[in-house]
Amino acid sequence: MTDVLHRLLRTPQGVLGLALLLVLVLACLLGGALAPYSPETMDFAGRFAPPGTKHWFGADQLGRDVLSRLLIGARSTIPLAVAATFSGAAVGACIGTLSAYLGGRWDEAITRTIDAVMAIPHLLLALILVSTLGKGSTNAALAIAISVAPSMARVTRSVALAVRQQDYVKAAIARGEGGGWIVLREMLPNVAAPVIIEATIRVAFAVMLFATLSFLGLGAQPPASEWGLMVSEARRFMHQAPWIIVAPALAIAATAICFNLLGDGLRDALNPRDER
Amino acid sequence: MSPVLAVRDYSLDYITRGGTQRVLQDVTLSIDSGEVLGLVGESGSGKTSLAWAIMRHLPGNAREAPGGSLRLGDTDLRAASNKALETIRGRRMSMVFQDPSTALNPTLSIGRQVSEVLVRHRGLSEKEAWRAATEALEHVDLRDPAGLMKRYPHEASGGEKQRVVIATAFACRPELIVFDEPTTALDVITGARILELFGRLRTETGVAALYISHDLALVARVADRVAILEKGRIVEEAPADRIFSTPAHEYTRRLVAAVPRPGHRLVADQAQPQELLRAEGIAVRYQRKRLFHAAPPPATDHVSLDVRRGEILGIVGESGSGKSSIARALTGIADYEGGITLDGKAIGSARAMNRAYRKAVQIVFQHPDSSLNPRQTVADILARPLRLYGGDVATIPALLEEVRLPASFAARYPHQLSGGEKQRVAIARAFAAKPELVICDEITAPLDVSVQASVVELLLRLREANGTAYLFITHDLNLVQQVAHRIVVMRQGEIVDLLDMAMLRRGEIHSYTRELIAASPTPVG
Repeated sequence: MTDVLHRLLRTPQGVLGLALLLVLVLACLLGGALAPYSPETMDFAGRFAPPGTKHWFGADQLGRDVLSRLLIGARSTIPLAVAATFSGAAVGACIGTLSAYLGGRWDEAITRTIDAVMAIPHLLLALILVSTLGKGSTNAALAIAISVAPSMARVTRSVALAVRQQDYVKAAIARGEGGGWIVLREMLPNVAAPVIIEATIRVAFAVMLFATLSFLGLGAQPPASEWGLMVSEARRFMHQAPWIIVAPALAIAATAICFNLLGDGLRDALNPRDER
Repeated sequence: MSPVLAVRDYSLDYITRGGTQRVLQDVTLSIDSGEVLGLVGESGSGKTSLAWAIMRHLPGNAREAPGGSLRLGDTDLRAASNKALETIRGRRMSMVFQDPSTALNPTLSIGRQVSEVLVRHRGLSEKEAWRAATEALEHVDLRDPAGLMKRYPHEASGGEKQRVVIATAFACRPELIVFDEPTTALDVITGARILELFGRLRTETGVAALYISHDLALVARVADRVAILEKGRIVEEAPADRIFSTPAHEYTRRLVAAVPRPGHRLVADQAQPQELLRAEGIAVRYQRKRLFHAAPPPATDHVSLDVRRGEILGIVGESGSGKSSIARALTGIADYEGGITLDGKAIGSARAMNRAYRKAVQIVFQHPDSSLNPRQTVADILARPLRLYGGDVATIPALLEEVRLPASFAARYPHQLSGGEKQRVAIARAFAAKPELVICDEITAPLDVSVQASVVELLLRLREANGTAYLFITHDLNLVQQVAHRIVVMRQGEIVDLLDMAMLRRGEIHSYTRELIAASPTPVG
């Protein structure tokens, strides 16, 4: 593990990604303490206050401090997106490995089902799910997890097919191990590296998808300071006070870039290439 | 006359994270025109690094020590520019690789690949090159060369592909050819034919060659002189006919001693007469009949054999003869038709194999790298059969002791072990179940000769202690003659010969068996 971190720090993407991640983690953990104002304190005199010494990132249409809202909002945006992606990835990885292990007709059936689900665009799938399950952050996260799972299953299956041919899997079969053990203990640890990389990159998509759902009014509900929701609310005042929309948009972009860079860095760190 | 290749005081380092590692130390050798120099060394001795140094294709972390020279004829290879090297490689020196299936580009037809060399280095037009390439293929005894030119590498067999690679290497009449274990990936008979071909082409063209191999017996047969490489140093160089009879260096003596000699039996006792396992009419199929495809012939065609208590039954045959399929059927990895009886109890199918059967029949695979899960420690790997078959996890140190590994290895991961050590762990895993039959599927093939000898010795000691029977699958006829009580010879999924050692000595053997024995290189002297 320290080995991976060490290699991660040797790539520029890894360093930048980790630095951004540190900022985001601090915002999530200490956002409440760092925020100069309460996110819901309204100040009618200070409506649309431009960025300055009083409000670093300006104030919104109700006079609420944008920086404070961003810091508090980090907590309701990033952890949910990460949790949604990784739970979706875990489920997908299990399905993919199982599919590769079973092979034959089962593999065919699982793969074709995945194909069918993947034919529906992510956003559309999430929209369908949220509109059936009901609005709210938890349901949005669930919808994201479900939309991530099929593509992860497919990525995992292709790696697991190679692992399936390894002699240690055959040895486990010859030993009379059950299917559950072989999938979870023999195969899954060996497909973990590509799954982690893929999942990290998908966090960026999840943050954006989550923001999109909130923007469309299906994710977090007002007066929450979720970033997508902030963008949605600021939309009407775009020409009047552009900073209200720019700040959360930049925050979303930075998060997406952070996880993309981290994924790139991890790809190099977890797959040390042949030096030749 | 100056030699074709002259290497003088050449040293090479690899820069790794652990520091600088010397792989070649003051290597000096020369090859005259028309001469073949054999270079023998175990894995990690630096023989392939030397080949790449000569071909001037070193990895980015390689550092050549100053001083020392590599000369091809009058050309100083170390001083040659990349541009110059492009015309030297393929034209004046070429290389034949170990694995023909990866040496050819799968997306280009064989004809394209052979004629491209001719277009590039002999300046022929596409049409002339195609004709010359067809001739070149014909010259390496390939059947239907014109048809083969249009085929893709996956449509040719391993032996055919290696012939294509050799034809390409000889196509521009180079001064020097570097052979890097050209027959290791092929089975015995195909390998022997490739060597015959090489011998013929050599006398015809008078090419000089560096022949790299880990197989001392093979090199002694091919080369004029043999150089022995140990940890990057050449410890001995001698004419090929003298290396076996009068090895001078201590390391050479050890290598020579480790080469299996068919006449030297390692097992003295006789097997017990009681039958342990009987397989009746085993047929393994890998593909079923499909709508528009007829089912392919089974990998083993209703094969019957029996193993007696404490017996070592050897199974030999070329690759694709179905030896490993038998192992897969007996361990339930592949579905089979036919019946297996263990100790009088019948097992109808792979699904019917119960815990008692699986405990009694264990398998050790060919490649220790892939048979141990890289994410589990040695202790985890050994604990699994103990838990499944009712052993005590506290006996892991004793198990490691039994295969001559220190108890501290329990905490290690497979990648921290050498090939021989990994194979010992795999053997310990099989013996953790206290089996009655252990199937050894080519377990010595990927190991160096000296390691091979110690693994065989370990197996024999374990058999003495536990009375285990072995099904010893191998393509090494010299080795199997040393250890087996009876030998099964397979060809194309069928058993062609079943003989005991007395019959072998009397020469009552099938013509195919005779062919196999003739093809395997035997140590001389």
